[in-house]
Formats: sequence, C-alpha cells, structure tokens
Amino acid sequence: MTLLKREEWQGFVRDVDWTPTYVDYEAIYPEWHCGTGKVPREAWQGWEESYKVSYPEYVATQREKESSTYAVKAALQRSNTFQDLDEGWKSATKMHFGGVALVEYAAVIGELKMARFGLNGSWRNMATFGQLDEMRHAQITTFFGHEFVGQDAQYDWTQKTFHTNDWVPIALRNLFDGMMVAPNVVDLAIELPFTFETGFTNLQFIALSADALESGDVNFANMISSIQTDEARHSQQGGPTMEILVEHDPVRAQWVIDKSFWGSARAFAALTGPAMDYYTPLEHRKQSYREFMEEWIIDQYIHTIEDYGLKKPWYWDEFITGLDTWHHGLHMGLWYWRPTVWWRPKAGVSKDERAWLASKYPNWENVYGDKWDVMIDQVNANNVAATLPETLPWLCSTCHLPCCNATPSRNGEWKVRTWQLDYDGKKYHFCTNACRQIFWKDRDNVNHETLIDRFLAGQIQPMDVGGILNYMGMTPDAMGDDPDYGAWTRDYIGRAVEGIAAATVQGATQ
Amino acid sequence: MTEQVRKPRARRTFSAFGEIRKMPSEYEIVTHGQNWTTRQNRTSAFEQNPSSAPNMWFKTYRDNSALQAHDWEQFRDPDQYTYRTYVNAQAESELKVHGVLEEYSAAGSAAALAPGWVETLATLYTPSRYPVHGFQQIEAYIGHMAPTSYVTNAAGLATADFLRRVTTIAYRTRELQLAQPSSDIGTDHERRVWETHPGWQPARKAVESVLATYDWGEAFTALNLVLLPTLDDVLSRQFGEIARDNGDELTWLLHGFLDADNQRRNRWSIALAEFAITQQPTSASAIDKWVARWSPIADAAAQGLATILAETPEIPRNADAVTAGAKAAREGLLRGILAPAEAVAKVSAP
Ligand SMILES: [Fe+2]
Ligand SMILES: [Fe+2]
Ligand SMILES: [Zn+2]
Repeated sequence: MTLLKREEWQGFVRDVDWTPTYVDYEAIYPEWHCGTGKVPREAWQGWEESYKVSYPEYVATQREKESSTYAVKAALQRSNTFQDLDEGWKSATKMHFGGVALVEYAAVIGELKMARFGLNGSWRNMATFGQLDEMRHAQITTFFGHEFVGQDAQYDWTQKTFHTNDWVPIALRNLFDGMMVAPNVVDLAIELPFTFETGFTNLQFIALSADALESGDVNFANMISSIQTDEARHSQQGGPTMEILVEHDPVRAQWVIDKSFWGSARAFAALTGPAMDYYTPLEHRKQSYREFMEEWIIDQYIHTIEDYGLKKPWYWDEFITGLDTWHHGLHMGLWYWRPTVWWRPKAGVSKDERAWLASKYPNWENVYGDKWDVMIDQVNANNVAATLPETLPWLCSTCHLPCCNATPSRNGEWKVRTWQLDYDGKKYHFCTNACRQIFWKDRDNVNHETLIDRFLAGQIQPMDVGGILNYMGMTPDAMGDDPDYGAWTRDYIGRAVEGIAAATVQGATQ
Repeated sequence: MTEQVRKPRARRTFSAFGEIRKMPSEYEIVTHGQNWTTRQNRTSAFEQNPSSAPNMWFKTYRDNSALQAHDWEQFRDPDQYTYRTYVNAQAESELKVHGVLEEYSAAGSAAALAPGWVETLATLYTPSRYPVHGFQQIEAYIGHMAPTSYVTNAAGLATADFLRRVTTIAYRTRELQLAQPSSDIGTDHERRVWETHPGWQPARKAVESVLATYDWGEAFTALNLVLLPTLDDVLSRQFGEIARDNGDELTWLLHGFLDADNQRRNRWSIALAEFAITQQPTSASAIDKWVARWSPIADAAAQGLATILAETPEIPRNADAVTAGAKAAREGLLRGILAPAEAVAKVSAP
C-alpha cells in the first residue's frame, strides 16, 4: 500500500472557507485590509494557484535545500576565499546583505497579512508557505552576512541598515512598507508577488548569482540561487489575484501595477545599477544594466501585462529614457555621499571603464564625463577632501532618492532638474515626473517627510555633515570610502581635462 | 577620508546585541531585530504619512496594546526554533505520520471502524478542518502584528503547524471517504456540520469572535492562552483517547505526533506571557482581564464538542467530564501566570 496522491485530497485543504454568522463578514474581512473593492465577494471563490504544493512535500524539499546550502557554506568556510575577493564585488555583497536581509523579513510580515486576510482559503494557504519561505530568506541572508562581521565592520549593516535613518533605508522602507506590508491584500498580491517577485527579484538574483560566480564567490552564488528556487512557489499568488482584479476592475489593476513597477525600478536603479555597471570588475561584466533590464525585465514585463489585457504604463517613455541616466546619476550620488553608505563604492571610471560605459551608453561622456573629470583632477591634485560632501541633495518626496536625473535641454545640454509641486502650503520636490504624479494620486499615504524635510525642520542636530552622519547611524568603522582612488585616476595624471574626455568619446565611437 | 581611521576592535557579532560577552546563538543571530517596523526611535511603524490608515492600525492595535514589555527584543522562544530547525523537525515528524498512515492503510483499518465511531469522525473530526483553518488565520494575524520578530517567527511557524493539521485532516477525510462510501464524509457535509451542528456552534462563535479581535495582545491571549489550550484538550488529547477506546488506533497515534506542535506553541506562549508580566507588571492585569473574558467562551466551545463525544461513539465519554478536563488543562497551563500573588512576587524579584 502506498499513500494517497496529493490530487486526491488536496481539495479539502483548499476548501476551508465558510460563511460567518456570529460576527459580520466585514468584521472578519474588513475592506480596508482585504480591498475587494469593485470585485464581488463571490468572485474570489475562483482563485486558484497553478502550482500546487502540500505541507509534507514542502518540509521535505526545504529540508534538503537547507542542508545543501549550509553544507556548501561549511565547506567553503575552511577555505579562505573571502580575502581574495575584489573590493568592488565585496561592496556589491554588502549592499545586498544590508539592502535585502530585512526586506525579506518585510515580506514575512506581508505574507502573514495575506495568510490572514486573503480572500480565498487556498490563497491564505499559499501565503502560509510564503511567510515560511521569506523567513528562510531573511534568516539565510542574515546568517551569511553575519559570517563576515569579524573581518569587515561594514557587514554589521546586514542587520543594522533598516534600523537606521540612513537615506538609503529610508527610501527602501518607504518603498517596501508601501508595497509589501501596508496595502490591502489584493494590492499587496499584485505589488509583491506579481510585480516585484516575478519581475525584479529575478534581476537581482540572476544577475548577482552570475556576477558572484564570475567573481569567485561560490558561497554567495549558492545562497542566492537557493533562495531564488523558492520564488516560483509563493510568487504565483500574484497571477490568480491579477486575473480576478483585471476582470472586475482593470483601471485599478493598471494603477497598482504601474505604481509598483515604477517604485521598484527606481530602487533597482539605485542598487543593482551601480553594482552591475561600476562595481563589478570590467573583465567580469557580461551585460550592461540597461541591456540586462531590456532582456530580463522589459520584454517579459510588457508581455505579461499585455497577456492580462493591460497597457504599457503611462510613464513608459520616461522610464525607458531613464535607463540611460537614473543609475549613472545615482551611482555618482552614492560615490559622492560615500560616507553615508555601508560599502566602499568604487568610482569605476578609469579610461577602460569609461570606454566601456561610453560604448554601452553613447551619451555617458557627454552627461557624466565632465563631472567625473572634476573629481579626478581633485584626486590627482591630492585634494580628496574637496570631493567630499558638504551639503545634502534634494530628495524626491515619492521615492526618497536624490533628485539627480539629467535630462536634455532644448539646446542639447544635459541638466539635472527637479519636478516640483505646490501642495497644502508646501513645495515638494521630485526626481521625475512620474514620481510627482504618483505622489499626487497617493498623497494621503505617501505624504511623508524626506530626510531633507527633517534637516530643514531642525530635527537633525548639529546641522552639519557630522550631525547628519550621526542621525543616519553611521559610525567611523562602517563609513564608506573609495577603496582605491588610484585605480581610476592614475590614467589621467598630468592631462588636460577636456582632451581626455573628448578622446574617450572619440575612441568609443570609432 | 584620507587620514587613517583608528582601527577598532574587530566585531564578533552584530552591534544590535550590544556589548556582550557571550556570543549569540545561531537562533538569536537570525531572529534578532528582523522587523524594522518595531525599530527604536521610529515616528511610526511604516515609512509613510504617520497618520495613514496602516500606521494608525499598528499604533492602535500593536503599539498601544495593553500587553506591554519595555524591551520585546529580549524575549526568547524556549525551543529556539529557526526556519532550519523547523523544517528538519517537521520533515522528520511527517515521515512518522506517513509511516503510520501506510501501515494502517495496509491493514485496511479505515474500513473496519465501528459505525458509531465513523459517525463521530464525520461529526467531530473531518469538519474540524474549518476551525483549524480559522486558528491558522488568527495565528497569522498574531505573527503579522507581533512587536518583535522573536514572536512573529514563533507565530509564523505555529501558523504553518495549523496548515499541517488541516492537511492531515484532509488526507484522512479522503481515506475515510473511500473506505466508508455510505457515510457522507468528504462531501459538503463537513461545512454543513461546522456551520449548523449544535455541538459545533459555540466553537464557531469562539473562532469568529477571535478572528474579529484586532488588539494583538488580546488576540494572542484569546487564541494561544485560552481557546487553544482548551480545545486542544478536547480535539487532541481526549479525542485521541476516545479514538483508541473505540478501536481507532491510527487517530490516536496521529494526534500524538501532531500534539508536539501544540506543546511547542504552549511553551512559547506561556513564556511570552511570563516575559511580558515580568517586564511590565501592568501586562498581568491585561492578561487576567482577557482570560476572564474568553474563558467562558472557550468553555462553551468545549461543552458543545463534549455533547458530540457523549453521544455518537460506541464507547462515549461523559460530557461534563470532557468539559471539566478541558477546563482543567487550560487552568493548569495558565496557573503560573494568573495567580496574582505569584505574579507580583515574580515582578518584585527580578
Ligand atoms: Fe524572498
Ligand atoms: Fe519572495
Ligand atoms: Zn522619485
């Protein structure tokens, strides 16, 4: 005798909804958390996941994954690979550990919300597996990051980042609170599993595991590829929710997906963009960030939303143009305000690297070359202090990232500009037009002080760089600095700025 | 940036643990301070308008709950479960479950059950997937709202335990449906029994009422300290014993395996209540008040189920004895945290 097949009995696990009578339905499934909106309640009875899994299968599979991931880690711990890793790659891992570990945990809190308020029993069961998966991701990422704390204090930010008021975690908390935990579960299932997990985490995980292997960091590649294998299971909560919402309220579906795609794209430009185009050693780069976005996100994304009968987001042109600018501007911002980050941002603008950038982004020299030349000249004049920040940039009131996007003017000159909005007696600044539009539409939720607002209101004391670093929780042992100034400046010792910049452009276009 | 920064002593662990002499355990490393909405010096749970609806919800139902402790991050699950510990233990335990399911299926035991016992299974056991799913939802809410990741993780694992229990019930529902084709097991019968059978109604009332209880401290007290200790005793311990009396050894064995999950949940739930009371004496009166509010509701639920156990089995059990047993089980569990004299003594002797 063998056991009954899952298909024979799983219907009973999925069929667990009943009609409450002692308490109003609305008291158990408050609209505010459930967000059924224009979708009739009965419509959720049709919610069905495509990839079924049972509890005993789950624990058996996951036990195997856990033991193999930790076995690889234990084996590698005995070899001394960490010391041999490139500084740029190490920075990419620090960014990842600090920027991701607790985001995985925010996903635990979000999945638990769907496990409670999801509008169908099988959805709530899926979310129950989902919260387990995310607990795994949070724990494994935290534990792997912890291993290096003794060797480099910046890894302390694996756990610390999101407990601080550093500008990077403020921006990320704002994004992830708003799409993983705070929304009603219908919006949440579209923002987290649908947009973020099926779209963007692929980018982070596929790109980074390839880069990790190139850089010889087998342990890291092992960790993130194992994490990625869990996504297929819980990310499928998005599809069935999307189908039902699109059928009954396509306008809302379009808005929710557009808003979360935009927010995710901004955050990835800040984190994945610099890691791919600047931190990864030149010889290990396979694709530029733009090429990667085109291959892995854009085609697939447009394809997916069109399958659901939705349109390209209203901001599409602005987004596509931004693939050539956002992450370059943000990279420069991260490098310039390097004392505020928990990794060592490489400038990555040696001659060869610039040639590569110019070949991938034909406008790069035109827009960014002269700004880096100023930095290069200061470093070569032995005046690094002049390249350090004394002020703060405007921060966007929607994405909370610096307003540092260059756009072309009529005369062909590229200029950094901000979009503004006067609302309720106050002037708001935005990095992009779409950030301004999203703010306006969602202003009850997102209207929230940026770090600059806090600074100007006197909440940060003293009002200088020291006071700001202290407010951000930054300590001298974790403060970012360029790992090797010589690496990107020695090519230019003794040269005239104009000439070299121009020569690089020429070389790239020949 | 060019001047040499004095090299500080190398860290051994996250700075979040402060100046400690003892290295934190793997459990602590992966559990400590994971939920950023509980971080210190926050103006609101979420990084958005402090008076947004989500922020007001967390402020009202979590941060302002009467269940308080001055530093929740000091709480520890007595079992120190991590995700890895959990899947290892549960995969192991599920192998045992599968072992007995196969063994009893080979012996054809489901077909050989006495009619009165089949009816009991159809009335009490197979419909219980509905309330257990309700427990799963409430436990998920407790985890969602908990003021520290140490509690969220324990509650998240307990949420999965309920899914495990529903899965076991579902499996046996199908097995009994095949073995007892003349019963109405595995039809819409289960839902009807849960929604209308008089024996179930007080339990359904209890589950629906806790589902609609949003203060996280009260939801935790109502479910983990009152309703579950009471109903576990009826649906797990006593039901298992009665099953064995009625020749259904498989049910008895399965309940024995799955009861380990209940016991683990009880351990951290009691530890949590003790922790809150020790750290913040006013938590004791909040727990007292909630226990007093929910105990009669839990007793009524037990009483309703007891009527089924007194009626349908070939070898029944006295209804009052079932109810009294359930009440005693709960009171035994809560003894240490409820007696005011003891609670006061604990607080004054830190
Ligand atoms: Fe994850
Ligand atoms: Fe995920
Ligand atoms: Zn913005």
